[in-house]
Amino acid sequence: MTIVLQTVIDVWDKNLMTLRTIEHLQMFSIALVLSTVIGVIIGIFIYSRQRTANTVLNILNIVETIPDLALIVILLPILRLGAGPTIAASVLYSILPVARNTYTGLKGVDEQYTYVARAIGLSQVETLWKVKIPMSLPLIAGGIRIALVFCMGVVTLGGLVAAGGLGTVLQNGIQLYEKDAILVAGLWTGLLAVILDSFAGIVEKKLHERYGKW
Amino acid sequence: MHTERLFDRIDSIQIKGVTKKYGSRFAVKELDMEIHGGELLILIGPSGSGKTTILRMINRMIEQDSGSVIINGLDTRKLDPVRLRRNMGYVIQNIGLFPHMTIGENIGLVPKLEGWEKNRVKERVQYLLDFVSLPTDLFFNRYPRQLSGGQQQRVGLARALAMDPPLLLMDEPFGALDPILRKQLQEEFLKIKMEIGRTIVFVTHDIEEAFRLGDRIAIVDQAKIVQVGPPEELIFNPATKMVSEIVDTERKFKHMDTLNVKDLMSPFDSKYVFDSKMDTCDAVNEMTGRDLETAFIFDNGRLLGRITMVDLMKCRTKTQKLADVVRPLKTFQPLDSVAFALSELKKSGEYLALIMNEDRPSGILVSDEVLLKLI
Amino acid sequence: MVVLETVLDATWEHIILVYTTLFISMLVSIPFAFASLYSKKLAFFGLKFSNLVQAVPSFAVVAIMVPLIGIGFTPAVIAIMLRALLPIIKNTYIGLSNVDPELIDYAQGVGMSQWQINRYIRLPNAYPAMFAGIKFAAILANSIAVLTAFIGSGGLGEIIFQGLIGYNTKTLLAGAIPAILLAIFIDQFFTLLEKRFTRSYTK
Repeated sequence: MTIVLQTVIDVWDKNLMTLRTIEHLQMFSIALVLSTVIGVIIGIFIYSRQRTANTVLNILNIVETIPDLALIVILLPILRLGAGPTIAASVLYSILPVARNTYTGLKGVDEQYTYVARAIGLSQVETLWKVKIPMSLPLIAGGIRIALVFCMGVVTLGGLVAAGGLGTVLQNGIQLYEKDAILVAGLWTGLLAVILDSFAGIVEKKLHERYGKW
Repeated sequence: MHTERLFDRIDSIQIKGVTKKYGSRFAVKELDMEIHGGELLILIGPSGSGKTTILRMINRMIEQDSGSVIINGLDTRKLDPVRLRRNMGYVIQNIGLFPHMTIGENIGLVPKLEGWEKNRVKERVQYLLDFVSLPTDLFFNRYPRQLSGGQQQRVGLARALAMDPPLLLMDEPFGALDPILRKQLQEEFLKIKMEIGRTIVFVTHDIEEAFRLGDRIAIVDQAKIVQVGPPEELIFNPATKMVSEIVDTERKFKHMDTLNVKDLMSPFDSKYVFDSKMDTCDAVNEMTGRDLETAFIFDNGRLLGRITMVDLMKCRTKTQKLADVVRPLKTFQPLDSVAFALSELKKSGEYLALIMNEDRPSGILVSDEVLLKLI
Repeated sequence: MVVLETVLDATWEHIILVYTTLFISMLVSIPFAFASLYSKKLAFFGLKFSNLVQAVPSFAVVAIMVPLIGIGFTPAVIAIMLRALLPIIKNTYIGLSNVDPELIDYAQGVGMSQWQINRYIRLPNAYPAMFAGIKFAAILANSIAVLTAFIGSGGLGEIIFQGLIGYNTKTLLAGAIPAILLAIFIDQFFTLLEKRFTRSYTK
């Protein structure tokens, strides 16, 4: 037991894993915030201009099928090595779930509430912010949760293109064939993702209880 | 944002040559009518007759194809619809309380959007909850799904009154409630109507409701208004056969003498029974759960009387029991004549009586407005 | 500079890797989904586990194969399978269990055996969901197969990694673009197959 712990500490220190974790979470948070903001804006946009919805969602769907590593790689010539291509690829990947869920959520708001909102004198913008968006929150949160998993996945790949983060430790470990480093970094990366996902799951559930249908 | 008031009181609403078509079908055809300031005008007619369309053209939820709606000399088409709607209250059958907002937030929504200060909104909401007989401390932070149908409808009314509008539009507000509950809310609404002295346009398909609430009743059929007048005029001077059918006088006249109380009563249900020793705060929750506005109080099987939600409003102390707030109640036998029972009810100013078979309750009688007018 | 032949060879390797994995995944996951029908525990833990693993980054899954199994084709297949199994199991299970119970009652009433019920009632009902799952698994497999080149599986990823070493844009694109085209092809191909196969079951 002590030996295992000692190995973990050694590997951790040798691979600067505290620093790598911070880098990892930094890229991840930037990517998630950007995906959320852009995704929600696109969702609202295609909701207010329904004719564009199919086209936009189809394009995003195609982006979604592209292998994540290939997406990063084709962004390399444009954005250079570093965190840029990784974050950009994470965002491109994660816009779809957020935008799609926002769109579905807004479309799914029961017409009686939109009707009442209009009848008691809410303007269109007020109806959107006070009624439609709050009532779509559970679905939007579901979309963000998927985006979270996507971002985690793509950010980890960043190690292969010199973006830093925990992927760097995995890359080094494989190249130098250091089994301990791979195990520690692999399990830690997985654990981190599972914890964040579970946390998002709890938030999503709470929102369902608060804003969901009854 | 702050919308200025368009009118402090309604002098008159004039509907001039208004037509609305859906495809080739007329929903409303060349309609002319006037709604007087301060009156409660009922629009009644079969479904598809155009009554709801008329109502919705007043706040521009539906835009007429031609003609105009003029309120206090202002043509509604020249006004911003959002501003127009904030100057009138609107209540509908399915209520449409926003499920993600508390009762307080639902009622205070428009005042908040109008930029009222937080405390002012809160005071207004408290005043309105009080006004519709819902204890503030019990209901302010609840969500709509935690309320019974009757309570939700009260909140709907409170929300409509939030901006103190001089005009109320009501679209079958009690339509989805069971008959006894409906009767009680109508009763309370009558009192409120006296207090607020507003102009009200009210759509219903229930002639009883029309007779109970309306100052004037407009009968709508096939996109036209067939007759407008006070209730008595419709009964004693129906303009067409269709009017007398809606009013249903012929059939009721014929049976007046032979009808017994048991022919008119609604069946009794054990959910109405409450024990006199229950404390009043618990009773509020219990009545919410059973979706009741009225309950009958028994003490070891002996009838004490009835209570209503309004009576329980001031419940604060756990020591107050139902026996302390119970009010007396008229009872009849199943074989009493309807004429006798209704006139007794009218004399006592009650609208509800319990029908007792020996010592056991067997039904509930609610007053019949059409018959009452005939007696 | 990359020779066309190298790209074609890599593409072929890539396709073999993806479809081998997909085929094995189907062989494993469809019986597993049927088994879950008969064991609540299996269904519960299956879904729980699959939701959990879905959150783990692919690179972590691929990397962990190295200390556990080693490098090469087989570890790559196992790593890809770990991700590709889940959507198939999940969707097949949902499709199989979402049958109107009255229909099952009726089938039992007319004397159909368990096997016949599964074959003629549950399975056709599950086709649309199952296909959606397989399509998703195929796209996922194609995506992870690029990555597994890093642990020696071969395929288009290998060209990409060569390009990364010297940061040669042309080499990078020679690996990335066929991988993207392959992804779009898989998506279209399965969409077509899905339409063909499930047309008679959905309205």
